[in-house]
Amino acid sequence: MRGAMGKLVVPMLGAMLVGSLAGCVTDAVPKDALRLPESSLELRSLQTRKLAAPSEVAILTATVAVLQDMEFNIDRIEKPLGVISASKLSDADDKGEKTGLFFLDLLCAAGGGSDCDNMSTAKDKQRLFLTMVVLPSLERNGEYSVRVTIQRVIYDKEDRVRIRERIKTPEIYQKVFANLRQSLAIEVNQS
Amino acid sequence: MISKFHLLPGLLLIAGCATTTPVDIQGNSSQLESRQIQTRQYDTLDKALTMRSAVATLQDLGFTIDQADAELGVITATRYDQYTMRMTVTVVQRGNERVSVRANARIGENPVTDAETYQDFFVALDKAMFLTLQHID
Repeated sequence: MRGAMGKLVVPMLGAMLVGSLAGCVTDAVPKDALRLPESSLELRSLQTRKLAAPSEVAILTATVAVLQDMEFNIDRIEKPLGVISASKLSDADDKGEKTGLFFLDLLCAAGGGSDCDNMSTAKDKQRLFLTMVVLPSLERNGEYSVRVTIQRVIYDKEDRVRIRERIKTPEIYQKVFANLRQSLAIEVNQS
Repeated sequence: MISKFHLLPGLLLIAGCATTTPVDIQGNSSQLESRQIQTRQYDTLDKALTMRSAVATLQDLGFTIDQADAELGVITATRYDQYTMRMTVTVVQRGNERVSVRANARIGENPVTDAETYQDFFVALDKAMFLTLQHID
């Protein structure tokens, strides 16, 4: 009996040791964490525009103004590098999405469902992080290269992170640049 | 009778992960080794263009810039993905010949220590440097 117990103790100990060590293991670094994606050039051109402006100050002023128009707060500016960092915390609930979830609950309840709580999955807040890099073009005088990159983190109602993502939607960047062109036109007309 | 042997599993479970939390000031990697894998030298005198390329590289890799200082050559950036990755890149003029670029990264609470990941970063930086030097920005 004692011999049989002895035989069992060693594997059990091994399993417990592995278990207790596994508890300390943290997530490994993903292999491709800093590998350049194949689509990087495509994304770069989506995020970049060349704009003519009378001066560096004019285009930087127009850029800051457009960020204010889009209700961002400017976190930092480093003029020699042309880097503007901005962010905003806003409501992530799309009205259409909320309405959809509301009707989903209604349908669920009408169908006799007892757990009709889709509304609670409505996203709550999103924090947007934006970087604008505005630099004199290396190709032409009087032309400026503007590149914008955007990321967002969506939190649920309990402040838990639901989604972390880089924005790759072309329309979003087109909208930013359309706003910037308008802002630049206003800036040029006013000065 | 309970032998010492029988107490061991219990002790292992209690010890489990660290019971006290030491201040992790030193980090885990050796100073020289980490410097080596995190640093590349570039045969250029143009610190400004190198910084411009470093910012572009971080953007290419999906980061947004938290802060940048042209004078000190420091850029800090964050990427929100499946995980949150934070990077600091420093660009320093070395003598009259070279510019040295050092990058270090953390994913959540873990430092990135593997050489391959930094190698990937410098491959991306090489490409951005090439594009900058070709005046394609």
